[in-house]
Amino acid sequence: MRGLYVHIPFCVQKCSYCDFYSLPNRLNSLKAYIEAVLQEAAQYDQLRFETLYIGGGTPSLVGVNGLNDLMTGLTGIFRIPKLVEATIEANPESISQDFLQSALKQGIKRLSIGVQSLSDTELQKVGRAHNACQAVQAIDLAQKEGFRNISADVILGLPGQNWQSLMTTLECLTGWGLQHLSMYCLAVEPHTPLAANLPGDLPCDDEQADLYWQAVELLGQRGFKQYEISNFCLPGYECQHNLNYWHGGEYLGLGPAAASHYKGCRYKNKPDLDAYLADPCGQKDEVEKLRKPEKAAEEAILRLRLLQEGVDLSGLIQKYGENNIMALAARLNQLSMKGRLLRDGFIYRLKPEDALVSNTILSELLGD
Amino acid sequence: MLISQEMNNIRNFCIIAHIDHGKSTLADRILELTGVLHTTDNKQVLDSMDLERERGITIKAKSVRIPYKSKNGRDFILNLIDTPGHVDFNYEVSRSLKACEGAVLLVDATQGVEAQTIANAYLAIDAGLEIIPVINKIDLPNAMVDECRKQISDMLGLSGEDALLVSGKSGQGVPELLERVVERVPPPQTDESAPLRCLVFDSYYDSYRGIIPHVRVFSGTLTKGVKIMLKSTGKTFEVDEVGYFTPEILPSARLTAGEVGYLGAIIREVGDIHVGDTIISPDFPDTPAVPGFRKVLPMVFCGIYPISTNDYPKLTMALEKYILNDSSIVYEKETSAALGHGYRLGFLGMLHMDITIERLKREYGQDLIATMPSVIYKVITRRGEKIEELFIDNPSRFPEPNFIEHIEEPMVEARIFVPNDYIGSVMELSEKNRGSLKNMEHPDTRRALLTYEFPLAEIITGYYDRLKSVSRGYASMDYEFTGYKTGPLVKVDILVKENQVDALSYISDKDSAVTKARGLIHKLRKLIPRHLFSIPLQAAIGGKIIAREDIAPVRKDVIAKCYGGDISRKRKLLEKQKEGKKRMKMVGSVEVPQEAFLLLLKMEDEE
Repeated sequence: MRGLYVHIPFCVQKCSYCDFYSLPNRLNSLKAYIEAVLQEAAQYDQLRFETLYIGGGTPSLVGVNGLNDLMTGLTGIFRIPKLVEATIEANPESISQDFLQSALKQGIKRLSIGVQSLSDTELQKVGRAHNACQAVQAIDLAQKEGFRNISADVILGLPGQNWQSLMTTLECLTGWGLQHLSMYCLAVEPHTPLAANLPGDLPCDDEQADLYWQAVELLGQRGFKQYEISNFCLPGYECQHNLNYWHGGEYLGLGPAAASHYKGCRYKNKPDLDAYLADPCGQKDEVEKLRKPEKAAEEAILRLRLLQEGVDLSGLIQKYGENNIMALAARLNQLSMKGRLLRDGFIYRLKPEDALVSNTILSELLGD
Repeated sequence: MLISQEMNNIRNFCIIAHIDHGKSTLADRILELTGVLHTTDNKQVLDSMDLERERGITIKAKSVRIPYKSKNGRDFILNLIDTPGHVDFNYEVSRSLKACEGAVLLVDATQGVEAQTIANAYLAIDAGLEIIPVINKIDLPNAMVDECRKQISDMLGLSGEDALLVSGKSGQGVPELLERVVERVPPPQTDESAPLRCLVFDSYYDSYRGIIPHVRVFSGTLTKGVKIMLKSTGKTFEVDEVGYFTPEILPSARLTAGEVGYLGAIIREVGDIHVGDTIISPDFPDTPAVPGFRKVLPMVFCGIYPISTNDYPKLTMALEKYILNDSSIVYEKETSAALGHGYRLGFLGMLHMDITIERLKREYGQDLIATMPSVIYKVITRRGEKIEELFIDNPSRFPEPNFIEHIEEPMVEARIFVPNDYIGSVMELSEKNRGSLKNMEHPDTRRALLTYEFPLAEIITGYYDRLKSVSRGYASMDYEFTGYKTGPLVKVDILVKENQVDALSYISDKDSAVTKARGLIHKLRKLIPRHLFSIPLQAAIGGKIIAREDIAPVRKDVIAKCYGGDISRKRKLLEKQKEGKKRMKMVGSVEVPQEAFLLLLKMEDEE
C-alpha cells in the first residue's frame, strides 16, 4: 500500500484551536499553487498509489476548476488508475453542488466533512466559519449527489460542551446515515489563540474522559465500531488511507507542511507557502531515518492504535528481521504480563478501556 | 620574586565577614592592587566554583601568596587565606584561622554588624589573632559609618574608632589597609631549625598527582625529596613538589616555617590524609600535633541514593573523591527498602548539605535522590529491665514506639538580628518552629537582637530560608549547639499504595504531627503523577493512620490525532515521556519524583 496526500493550505478563517498549516486570504495564489504541487509531484514520476487523500486547510475551497486541474495533473504524473480509496475534505461553508459533482466525476468517492459540532454556540466559541444548519445542508447535499461514503469530524471537549450537546451531535450524525466518524479530543496546542485565551468552560481532562466513554458507548450502540483510538465506522468503512499510516506504510505528501514516508525516510516540507511557490521541490525538511529496531517500535505503537487489529509480532518479524525486534518483543511481552496489553498468540492489543491512557503504555515500547 | 624570605617579612592573614559584606570583592581588589592579578572582569578570583559565584558565597578556603612593597620600601610576602562566610562553614573558618596571625574583619557600611560578623569575630579572638576592623562599601550613599564604628566597639569589643574605611568596589582605602596589615599583623613566630611541623588546612584532588594538601608550615622546612609523616596515621610519604598559590599553583624550591603553600607527595588514598592533620618528620615522630584545631561534629544527616540502582558504584567513587575536599562530611553505607543502596551523610548544616548535593550532581555528574534531612536523636528505650540510650540519625531506624521511654533532641541557641519592622513576623515564625525567646536586645535604633532556643530539627527543616523570606532578606542568624532536651516527639511513617516508604519517615513534635502530616500527604498527592491505577497515600503514627488522600487514576493521556504528518513528532513526545519517568524513583509500582523526598522542607513556604 502506498498513499498520496495533497495538502490544500487555504481556509476561510483560522479556527482558534488550529495548529495546521493553513492560511486565510491566500486563495489568489490557488492557480500557482496547483502548478507548484504538480511540479513537486513530477519528481516522483510514475509512482503508484493505492489511496489518495486531499486534506487541508479547506480543500473544498479549490473549486471545480482547481480540483479538475489538480486531478488531471496528478493522473498524468502518477500511476493511479485504480485507487482503492480517494477522499477529499470539505467544510460545510464551502460545499457546492458543482464541486461535489466534479469530485465524483474525478473518482473521489469519499467525503470527509468538518462538522465538529452541531451546537452553534460551540462552533462560534472556537471560531468555526459555519453553523449547524450549514453542516446539515452539506451532508444532505452530499448524500443527494451520490456520496455513499461520508465521514464527519467531531471535536470532543469544546468550550461549554457537555454530554447533552455531544450526544445530540452524535445521534444526529449517526442517524443521518453517515458511514464514518472521527472524534478527536480537543488539544490545546501551544501558540494558538485558544492557548493564549483559555475559555473558563473548557472541559478538563477528566470531563473529556467522561464524554469520550459515553460517546464510545453510544457509537457502539449505533453499530459504529471503534477501529482506532479516535475513529469509528460502520463495518467495512475504515479509512484505507489512514490505515496505511497506522500500518507504517509508505506515503507521499505534497504541499507545504505535508509529510512523507518514503524509502524508509520520514520528511516534511517546510510550512511556508511563498517559499513553496518559489521552489516546490526544495522544501524537504526534518528528514529522519530510523534504524530498524526503532522503526519496528514505531510501527508497533502505530498499530496498537488500531484497537481491534492490534500489532502482529510475526508480521514485524517478517518485515524487520528477528534480530531487530528482540527488544520490542520483550517489552510487548512484559506489558502483557503486567496486564497492560492483551495477547492472543502473536497479536498484542491495547485493552479497550486503556484507549484514552495509551501514552503511558505506548511510551514503554520506545527508547533504550 | 623575593630571594630573601625572612620571617619578619611574612604576614599571614584572612578576611572574615558576614555573607555578602564584600569579602571576595575586596580580595580581588587586593590581588589587583598588588599586581598579582592584572585584569578582573566580573569574575571573582577566589570564588572559583560555579556554585560559589551563583550563590555569592565562598565555600572552600583557599590561599594566595602576594608579594607586596610597603610605602617605606620594604618587601613583604602576604599570604591571604580566604574563608567562607556562612554559619555552616564555621569549621572552615576555624581551620583557616589556625594558619593566620591576623584577620581583617569586614563590616558592610550599609548593613552594620550581623550575626556572622559576631560569630566569625569571636572565632578569630579565640584563636588569638590580631584583628583589623574595616568598614566596607563606604562608596554607597546609604553607608552608616558612625553607626558601624559604634557597633564594632559595643558589640565586638574592638576599637571602632580605629576602623579603616574601604570600598572593595572602587579600591578606595585598600592601600591603607595593606599598610595596616604589615604594621599590625605580627610576623609568624617560628623556628626554621626545629623539626618539621605543618598544619593541613585544606586539600584538593588532582587526578594526576593525587591529593594535594594545603599547608601552613609552623617549624622546619619542606623541600622536594624530604620524607614526611602524618601525625594521625603514622603513614610516610616523600615530597615531590612544594609551591605556592599565585593564585595558580607555582612550584618553588622550598616552604619554610611561617609560610603557606602546598605540597605534592603522590598521596592516592583518600583515607591517608585529613584536613586538620599535622605533618611532621618521620625522624622526629614525637613532634606534637598543631593544637586547637576544632574537630567539628556533623549536625544534619540525610541519605543519598542513585536514581538508578546500577549507579551505586559510581556514586561511591564520586563520594570518596568529594570527601577529600571536605573532611567535615561523615558518611556510611545505608540501605533503604524503598531506595536501595546508598549512603547516609552527616553535614554541618543545611547550606552545607545543599551545596554538597548540588556539587555531587553538577560537578560529579551524579543522578541522585537526597532524602529529608534529620538530626541525631537520643532515644532512650526500655526492654524489660534493660534501659538503653541510642543515638539515631535516621527516622526509619527508630525503635518500636512501645519500647521508647522518651526521646531527646539536639537544641541550639540562635542569635537573630532583625530590623524593627520584622520583629513581629520573625517572632511568629520562631514560635511556629518551637522556638523559645531567651533574650531581646536593641544594639541600635533600627534593629533587635533576639536570642532563641530552638530544636535543631526546626532550623534544618527550612527555618533559615523562611526567616529570610519573612524579613525580606534583612534578618541574619547564627546558632550554636547547646545540648539535648526531651521533647514530645513521634515518628511519622508514610505509606504509598500500602507500602511504607522508609525514606519518607520523619520525626515530628506531637502537637503539629497531624497538621504536618496532612500537609505532606496533600503535597505528595499533587507531586506524584497520576498512574493507571489509584494510589492511596497515608501517614501513620505507629499503626494509626493520621492522614490520607488518594491519587485518582489517570483518565486521559493520549495522542488523539496521529496521521502522516504527526508520526515523528508524536513518537518523540512518547520518548520524552519515557525519559521523564527515568528521572523518577520506583517505589513498588509507583513512580515517585525526586522532589518528594525533600518535600517536607518546602511545605511551609507555600502555606
